[in-house]
Amino acid sequence: MYRQGDVLIVPVAEEAVPAHVARAPKERRDGRGRLVLALGEVTGHAHAVVGPGDLVREPGPFGPLLLHVPQGGRVVHEEHAAITLPKGWYRVIRQREYVPGSVRIVAD
Amino acid sequence: MNGTVGTGGTAVAESSDELRGWREWASSTAPADRAAAEEGIRRAYRRAGLVEPERVVWAGSPRAAVTLVRELTDAGPSVREAVRSAPWARERGRLHAELGAAGWSAHWAATGGRLWESAQSLVDRIRAGVVAELAGRETGPEAAAVRLVLLDAVLGQHDAPWLAAFGTQDGMLDGPLDGLAAVCRSAGWWWPFARVAVVCERPVALHRDEAGRLDHGDGPALAYPDGFALYAWRGMPVPAEFLAELPALTPERIRSEENAELRRVMLEYYGYDRYLADSGARPVHRDGTGTLWRIDLANDEAVVMVEVLNSTPEPDGTHRTYWLRVPPSTRTAREGVAWTFGLDADVYAPVRET
Repeated sequence: MYRQGDVLIVPVAEEAVPAHVARAPKERRDGRGRLVLALGEVTGHAHAVVGPGDLVREPGPFGPLLLHVPQGGRVVHEEHAAITLPKGWYRVIRQREYVPGSVRIVAD
Repeated sequence: MNGTVGTGGTAVAESSDELRGWREWASSTAPADRAAAEEGIRRAYRRAGLVEPERVVWAGSPRAAVTLVRELTDAGPSVREAVRSAPWARERGRLHAELGAAGWSAHWAATGGRLWESAQSLVDRIRAGVVAELAGRETGPEAAAVRLVLLDAVLGQHDAPWLAAFGTQDGMLDGPLDGLAAVCRSAGWWWPFARVAVVCERPVALHRDEAGRLDHGDGPALAYPDGFALYAWRGMPVPAEFLAELPALTPERIRSEENAELRRVMLEYYGYDRYLADSGARPVHRDGTGTLWRIDLANDEAVVMVEVLNSTPEPDGTHRTYWLRVPPSTRTAREGVAWTFGLDADVYAPVRET
């Protein structure tokens, strides 16, 4: 389990990844060729993975984002130190905040 | 270059004195010296073996210059390669050959390397600001077109790091890059075309914090004479209206701000201690993940917040604090942080945090 600012990256056992995820549509890379895990709405700063891999938007217990880095990867951000990820599957969790009556995502 | 090249302490001490001029030109907010800049531009063309431009056109800011460049129909092709890139590369090659790889690296570290980060972060922010204002968004064909024009600029005052490395001795009054150096000393960004050169005024305001980040709570952190401006709080870009509101903040207004990023700026401006005192907050629990605070409110559920340190230090070595509201039933800081990620306290265990 890795935390970079408001994003938590939790390992998922390969056996636990649903079979249909392999055929699911992949998230598009950004203009710089990165997989964007989360984007700060004010700063434009992004938590992003550089290097080979796929990002799948997946409803349900593993979603909303499943990250696959078959050769390992590196999570970068303009304000946080980079984090090296061992190869494998990860669930990407965006930090949220309590609001009476609802819950809201944090924009780092 | 005598006396500026070397790896010893003396050379570094000497060069920092000579660096002062370049550092000041890079951050200058004085009006452009138009005559000196135009002479520098013409000299750069002559040094490149080109005919001088028929006219030099002034713009109030890089934003205005980009618009102007895109509207020019009679400017001729860009001559940036001949005027800047080629002589630049030759000087770099010459110094590299003269000093060797290690010597060049030490020389760069003692000269341009010291100015690089501050100049480059400013350049990046200006580019981003121009793209945002002219294209309205970061991606798409319009943003790409604006970015292309920006990448084609010669950076004038912001070329100081490289020019400092090429000639720290006397501001380079005579030599292959003297025209470029003259523009650096007297104006902002510029675009050389065969028949026309477009050149910018310098900013009229530039405010940075100790860490060198754009920072101003009281107006634009960077402003050009034509009104192009960037607003920032400790490096974070913020809307202008937002800054205007800061002096009149109340704890209620801070609590009601929906954007966590802007609320963080509000809290920094207002002061965490003051906020907690004014809100009647008390610390409830503290552990390795942070501190849990509670503000009891009359006729409303309690405000319970976790105070978390960013694991990556700021450039000044401090750690930025941020606050997240968690359910009122939260008992420990760990439980609160785990909740923000939808996890139970006993499974929340990052092996690395940045």
